[in-house]
Amino acid sequence: MAQKLNVLLLDDEPIVGRRLKPAVEKIGCEVEVFEDPKSALNRIEEKTFDIVVTDIRMDDIDGIEVLERVKKRSPRTKVIMITGYAMMALAREAMEKGAYDFIAKPFTPEELRKAIAKAAQALGVAVSEGNE
Amino acid sequence: MLVDGEAEKSAVEGGVTLEGRYERIKAAESAREGLLARPRFSFRMQLYLSFLLVFLFAAATGTILIIVSHEVETKLRFLEIVNDYMLEIQQARRFEKNFFLYGTNLNDALENVYRAKEIYAGDVEELKRILGKDRHAQIISNLERYETLLKVLAELDTREGDILQYQGKKKEIEFELREQGQKMVSFGQELMKKEKEALSEALLWSRRIHVYALGFILVLLIVNAYLLGKRILGTIERFSVYAQRIASGDFTPITPSRRFRDEFTDLAIAINQMILELESREAVLVQSHKMRAVGTLTAGVAHELNNPLNNITLTAHMLLEDYEKLSDEERKDMLEDVVAEAGRSKSIISNLLDFARESSSQVEPLDLEKILRETIALASNQLKLSGIKIDLQSTGYLPRVHGDSQQLRQVFLNLILNAIDASSKGGKIHVLLMPADEPGYVAVKVVDFGRGIPEHILGSIFDPFFTTKAKGRGTGLGLSVSQGIVAKHSGRIRVNSKEGHGSTFTVTLPVTTIPAQITNA
Amino acid sequence: MTIIAISSESYRRGREIGEKTAKKLGYRYLDREIIEHVAEKSGISREKLIKALDKTPSVLGMSQREQTLYLAHMEQAVVEEFLKDNVVCHGMAAHLYVLGVSHVLKVRILCPQEDLVREIAEGKNLSGEALQRALKRFENFRRRWSLKAFSVDETDPGCYDMVISLNKIETGEAVNSIVEAAGYKKFKAMSYSIKCLRDEEIASRARTILLPRFPDAKVRASGSTIVVETKGMKREKRRKSEMIKEMAGKIDGVKYVEVHVVNDIFRQAAQSFR
Repeated sequence: MAQKLNVLLLDDEPIVGRRLKPAVEKIGCEVEVFEDPKSALNRIEEKTFDIVVTDIRMDDIDGIEVLERVKKRSPRTKVIMITGYAMMALAREAMEKGAYDFIAKPFTPEELRKAIAKAAQALGVAVSEGNE
Repeated sequence: MLVDGEAEKSAVEGGVTLEGRYERIKAAESAREGLLARPRFSFRMQLYLSFLLVFLFAAATGTILIIVSHEVETKLRFLEIVNDYMLEIQQARRFEKNFFLYGTNLNDALENVYRAKEIYAGDVEELKRILGKDRHAQIISNLERYETLLKVLAELDTREGDILQYQGKKKEIEFELREQGQKMVSFGQELMKKEKEALSEALLWSRRIHVYALGFILVLLIVNAYLLGKRILGTIERFSVYAQRIASGDFTPITPSRRFRDEFTDLAIAINQMILELESREAVLVQSHKMRAVGTLTAGVAHELNNPLNNITLTAHMLLEDYEKLSDEERKDMLEDVVAEAGRSKSIISNLLDFARESSSQVEPLDLEKILRETIALASNQLKLSGIKIDLQSTGYLPRVHGDSQQLRQVFLNLILNAIDASSKGGKIHVLLMPADEPGYVAVKVVDFGRGIPEHILGSIFDPFFTTKAKGRGTGLGLSVSQGIVAKHSGRIRVNSKEGHGSTFTVTLPVTTIPAQITNA
Repeated sequence: MTIIAISSESYRRGREIGEKTAKKLGYRYLDREIIEHVAEKSGISREKLIKALDKTPSVLGMSQREQTLYLAHMEQAVVEEFLKDNVVCHGMAAHLYVLGVSHVLKVRILCPQEDLVREIAEGKNLSGEALQRALKRFENFRRRWSLKAFSVDETDPGCYDMVISLNKIETGEAVNSIVEAAGYKKFKAMSYSIKCLRDEEIASRARTILLPRFPDAKVRASGSTIVVETKGMKREKRRKSEMIKEMAGKIDGVKYVEVHVVNDIFRQAAQSFR
């Protein structure tokens, strides 16, 4: 692979990051994990990511806000929303604001990898899907 | 009447449990027994009694009057007799005078004396009774002496003897005769005067009896009316106090407050029955409202559960996927995560389950701050779902409050859920715990900065079935039930709201001064 | 990447708009033709299936349990098609069972009276008040039907993303509007909405299998788990639960079956009075 996909993963649940980092790295992505939306947003300002995976319901900053900030900074970046509060209205709001995908919790690592692979494809980057 | 301690006890009981209900039934039963144990003195009885009394008195008065009038009649007749007798005597004396003056009519005088004697003899028994034996004897002796003297005179007159001797004798007899006659007349006059006095006195008496009897009946009627009125009005007043007490949520049965029972006792027993019924209805209402709140909370809990569930899913999948590659340490870490997250899931549900469980209500010293914290935890998912921040502030060092923590939690939860509904996304809710403005009370304030309550409906928000929420979302019972619960704690809920600026609901609860009064009463 | 579900007061006008929309978008068009396919697969006659869509259960005609079963078969077929994406569906009650799926654009077409009259008057010449009454009756009937079959009132505009009145908007304009709306990002398919659709498919498939045996079964699905709710009395509870687990466990894509047998209070009451 010529280039690795840059993925930022934001969820205020520490376990999510801990488990998903190795899972996503397996398909050849560079993963940065954040638990605090503020520092994640700071990092987003510094660096352009290919894919951002973010939770929606977080204490200080809403995932939708993160989505808007990411899209403003880099429209090319694909944003995947993950939330335990999945509802039709919220899903549509996220999609309208430019989310690439919307995944309801609980999900399996495989589901996220598939979503990332699809996003990568849309970006024109091939990743090794699933287990190597 | 109720003792304060009893009132307090009832105010905080009112459980929904079987045990609580059993207690209430027992209390009602003992109240019933107490009410029925007293001697019965009904209004009907009082009415009958008073009428009987008036009748008896009237009858007695009538009897007395009959007797008096009979006496008057007798006296009148007696007077007549005495009058006739007097007339005869006077006539006899007139003839006697004639005899002495002209020597005629002596036989006429005797005739009159006979007639007077006859008159006297006609009613001798009665006269004897009225005059008394002595006087009777004197009259008789007077009369007889007079008669004898007349007879002697008549004999002298016919005997044609010695004129001088006759004259002397005549003079002698004349003197005694006059004396006797005088005595008889004055005696008769005295008798008549006496009788006349007695008659007028009897008449006066009968007049007096009339007036007094009327007066007495009037007093009797007034007293009875007053007693009856006092009894009826006083009891009605007492019952209106009961009604207010029941309306305010105090479901203590009515206990005896008088020494006898009457028609109102039946009413009191019926009301006690109604109280039991009301109470069980209210308990059902409170519980069903609670289940409504639980229903609202479940949505939030279901979403919140997704987080630990997701953590478990991800961890389990990764454990499966990388099992061989992971070190024992890492595997153990992951399993520990699963265990911890399973525990977290449990605690998310158990809060709600604790709340939903039909609780035995019991009165205990409360840590209001803790209760508020728990309530906020219970609503936390709802708060997250609506993106609303909540903030609890307490002044600390507050005096003790007693109450049913389960029920109060329900009240606070209801206020917080209402505040969430009223607030817009990103809003803020303040919960304040502080001493109330009025001394002896602690206040819990739930402040939101939402749309507020329009003034024209502010008066009706505590009414049952009043709701501003969409159909199917609110039952309109939340505030009504909350008010009932708070009233049972002898507290109050007040609202302050300005349209467009938010609302403040204040729950004030009385500080317990003598805890023993509640716990042991 | 979008599904369009059209519900129309008049079948003819709905079909017209649906076909035009599908053509313009290059999507497949789904309508009552699919019934042939369902009839073939399920062995239920075509007439019965159509009746389930057009009539409410009655004492003499189709029973409630028959209707529920027929509808489940049709739902399963439709949702299966939906999973293939890029489809325009008219009727088939689709707008009623994919309410929660975000990438289904639900459109309601309100039609001019003339169009409706042709369909409901059945050759009779209605006018004035009689016509108004007939229209009202028809609307009430549709409300009753949708509430009975799916507990949703299909005449409620709140169920739709878009309501177009052909009284004011031409057919062509309506098609354009639908095509434009279909392009909105919010109606794009995503993992979550596809999962919702897949859940619905499994649930309806489970229904077609369980309903003949357990007519009162309520089925929901989430991922590979299905939850079945049915009524039963004490003794039969356990047996029912085991049977359902066995039957549903064999369904493709189902890994776990949860059964809730709730107390059949009516039957229990009926028995206790015997």
